[in-house]
Amino acid sequence: MSLLSVSHLRKSFGGAVALRDASLELRAGETLALIGENGAGKSTLIKILAGVVAPDGGSIQLDGEPATLRDPGEAHRRGFRFIHQELNFVPSLSAAENIFMGRGYPRRFGLVDWGALHARASSALRALDVNHIGARTSMARLSIGDRMLVKIAAAFVEDADAPARIFVMDEPTAALTGEESARLFRILDSLRRRGCGILYVSHRLDEVLAVADRISVLRDGETRATLTANEASKTELIELMMGHSAAEAVGPVIAPESERVVLSAQGLSGEGLRDVSFELREGEILGFAGLANAGTERLTNVLISNARTGRVTLDGASLKLFGPADAWKRGFAIVPRERRAQGLLMAHDIANNVALPHLDRVNRLRLFVDRGAERARAAEMGRRVRLRSTGTLQKVRKLSGGNQQKVVFARAVAGTPRVLLLDEPTRGVDVVAKFDIYALLRDLAAHGTGVIVVSSDHEEILQLCSRVVVMREGRVAAVVSTEALAPRRLLALCYGEATG
Amino acid sequence: MPLLLRRYGTAIGFVAVIVVFWLRLPETFLTSRNLLNITQQMSMLAVVSSTMTVVMAMGDFDLSVGSIASLAGIVAALVFVWGGSPWIAVPAALAIGLAGGLLNGFLVAYVGILPFIVTLGTLTIFSGLAFCLSGGKTIFGSAIPSSFGGFARGGLPLGPFEITIPNLTLVAVGVLLVVWVFLEQTVYGRRLYAIGGNAEAARLAGVRIRPLRLAAFGLSGLGAASAGLMLASRVASANPTQGAGLMLDAIASVFLGTTMSDEGQPRVIFSLLGVLMLGVLGNGLTQMNVDSYVREMITGSIIIVAVAASSLGRAREA
Repeated sequence: MSLLSVSHLRKSFGGAVALRDASLELRAGETLALIGENGAGKSTLIKILAGVVAPDGGSIQLDGEPATLRDPGEAHRRGFRFIHQELNFVPSLSAAENIFMGRGYPRRFGLVDWGALHARASSALRALDVNHIGARTSMARLSIGDRMLVKIAAAFVEDADAPARIFVMDEPTAALTGEESARLFRILDSLRRRGCGILYVSHRLDEVLAVADRISVLRDGETRATLTANEASKTELIELMMGHSAAEAVGPVIAPESERVVLSAQGLSGEGLRDVSFELREGEILGFAGLANAGTERLTNVLISNARTGRVTLDGASLKLFGPADAWKRGFAIVPRERRAQGLLMAHDIANNVALPHLDRVNRLRLFVDRGAERARAAEMGRRVRLRSTGTLQKVRKLSGGNQQKVVFARAVAGTPRVLLLDEPTRGVDVVAKFDIYALLRDLAAHGTGVIVVSSDHEEILQLCSRVVVMREGRVAAVVSTEALAPRRLLALCYGEATG
Repeated sequence: MPLLLRRYGTAIGFVAVIVVFWLRLPETFLTSRNLLNITQQMSMLAVVSSTMTVVMAMGDFDLSVGSIASLAGIVAALVFVWGGSPWIAVPAALAIGLAGGLLNGFLVAYVGILPFIVTLGTLTIFSGLAFCLSGGKTIFGSAIPSSFGGFARGGLPLGPFEITIPNLTLVAVGVLLVVWVFLEQTVYGRRLYAIGGNAEAARLAGVRIRPLRLAAFGLSGLGAASAGLMLASRVASANPTQGAGLMLDAIASVFLGTTMSDEGQPRVIFSLLGVLMLGVLGNGLTQMNVDSYVREMITGSIIIVAVAASSLGRAREA
C-alpha cells in the first residue's frame, strides 16, 4: 500500500524553478532513497512535505487520500517526522528540551512536567542505544555528532496523538561515526518492519545502495527514474543524476600559455582542510570541485587567513596573510559565496560598493574620499563587466541578482588583481549575466590574472577551467585536466568512485 | 505621498512645531535672542549627538557618554581645586574621556563584547568613579577660575546684527564640522558606514573593522568629555550627575535624524536637526509653562511617532 504519493509537484522561487515535475511513491515498510545533484530540488521537496513551503502545483496523497500540508504542525499530526541536514538547536538548553522543542513540553497542572520531559527524552535516546548523553546535558557541551544524535532522537519520541508513520531524513549520517550510523540503520530497519515508510536523502551512494529498497533520482526538478536498489549500480545512478544534456557552447576552454606559477600552496591545513597543495599558473583558471563539506567552501578563507598551517607563495615570495584586508592589499581580489550576506552593501550605491576595497589607492591626500574618481572608476568597471544600471549612484538593492553579482565583480577587477578568488561566482545568476561573467574571467586570464573558481556547478568548472582540483573530506583527492573530462567522471571523482 | 511623508515627515512636523510655538508665543519665541539661547542650551547635546552618530554609523551604541561627561567635569574641577590652570584641566578632562572611550572600544572590538553590555557596564563604572573622586558633592566656588566659568557666558559679537554668538554654540558648530568632514568626506567615514551597512561584507572587502571600532568609540568618549567641560563651564561647577541626561537625548536625536536620512542611516546633519527639534520642543514648552514631566512625555511620544512612521513607510516601500 502506498503511504505517501507525490505527483507532479511544481515550485518556483521568483523566476528560478526549483521543482518542475517531481513525483514519488513511498510504500509502507520500505526505504525510498532520493538522490540528485546540488540544486536538483531535493530540499524543496522536503520543505514541501514538512509544510514549510507551499507547492505551486501538483498533489500529495497520504494513504490514497489527497492531503494538504499547511504548516509543520500539520505535517507532524499526519505522521511525518523529519531529520534535517542543518542542525537547528538551542545551545543553551538541555538535550531533553531540544528534543521536545517545537512540539510542546509535557505538562502537569499547566506547568512543565520536568520529570516526564527528562524521562521521555532519556527513553528516546536509549531507543537509539545512546547511553552516553544525559537528557539534562546542555546542547552546547555536546560534540557535533552527539547533537545530531539528539536531533535524531527527537524524531523518535512517541506521540500518542499523532503516531509517526513517515520518516524523512536529509543526510542524517553526515556528522555521525560509522558505529553511530550503523545504530541508526538498525533503528530504521525496525521502524520499517513496523510498517513505517522512510524517505532517505543522501549524497553517499554506497549508503543509499545499502539502505534503500528503491531509489528515485531527481534532476533539474524532475523525477527522472525510480530504480530497485538491487538492480542499480553507482555508475548508473551518477549518469542519471548528471543527465546527458550537452553543455552549452561558450567557446573552448583556454589553457594558459605561461608556465609561471603565480600562487602556490603547500600543505595547507586548518578549518577542516588537511594538507592541501596546488599551484596556480599565470593566466590560469583553476577549478575546485567537491561535494558538500568536502572542504572547497572553506578554501578561499583558509588561503587568506592566518589561522592555518602550510606555506603559500605569491610570485615565488612567501606570503603571510592576516585576513581579507591584507589579501586585497597584496593583490588578491575576493568574490565571496553569498553576495547579499558577504558581498554587498545593499543600501549603498554602486560607486561606493566598487570603491570599498580600493579606498587606500583612490583618495585625496590619503584621507579624503575622491568621489569623482570613484564614480569614473565605477562607471569604467561597470562597462567592463557589462553592468546594466541607471548610473553609478543607483542603490545596489535595486539591481537584479545578476547585476548585483556584476557589481561584486566590478569591485574585484577594479584593482587589477594578480589573483582572483571566486566562490560560487554565478550562483543564482541568470544565463546572460553568467556568460558575461565567463567572458570577463577569460579576458582577465588572458591578461595574466590567476583565477581560482570554487564551484559546485560542475558544468561551470568544465566550461571555464583547464584543470580542476577535486577535493574530498578536506583533502585534495585528484588534480585533473578538464580536457576530455566527462561530467560523469568528474562527479565520480567527487564521490571517490574513480581515481585521477 | 507616503514616500514624501517618510522622507520629509519629521521635517514637516518640525516646521509645524515651530509654527505652533510662533503663534502661541508671538512675542518671545521667534526672536534672535531666544533662538541663540536655544543653540546654547543644545550645544552640549549637539556635541555628544555628533560623536554618537559616528558610533551609530557602525550600527553600535555608546551608553556611557553621560557618565563620561560627568566624570570629565569632575576631573577638570579637581585639577582646579589642586591649583591647576585651565590649560591643564581641559586636556586632562579630554584625556579621561578619550581613555574611557578607548576602553569601550577595546572591549567591543578586541574582546568581542556587545557594545550595549560594555557601555552599560562602563556607564556605571565612570559614574561611580565621578562620585568617588568628588566625594559625591558638587565642586564649585572660588576654586573654579573665572576664565573657565566665563567662557560659557561669553560669545562672539556680530556687530552689524547686534547679536552675540555664544562660545558654546561656536564649539558645537566646530565639533559638528569636524565630525561631518570625518564621516562624509574621509575614507575612514566611508568605511564606518560600510561596517554599519554589512559588517561581514565590509570585512571581506578589506575593511579592518577592529581598529575602526576602537577609534569610533574613542571619538565618542572625547565628544562626551567635551560636552562635560561645556556643562561645567556653563554652571561654573561640577557635579557627578551633571551629564546624566545626555545619553538618552543623544541617542534619541540620532534616531530622529535617521527618520530623515536616505536609507535610514545616521547622518550627522540629520542628527543635528534631531537635536534642534528636541531643543525647540523643550524651549517652547517651557515658555508655555508646560510642566517638565508632561514635557518629557510629549518629547518621548514624538520620538516614537517619528521613528514608527518612518519604519512603517520603509516597510511598505520594501
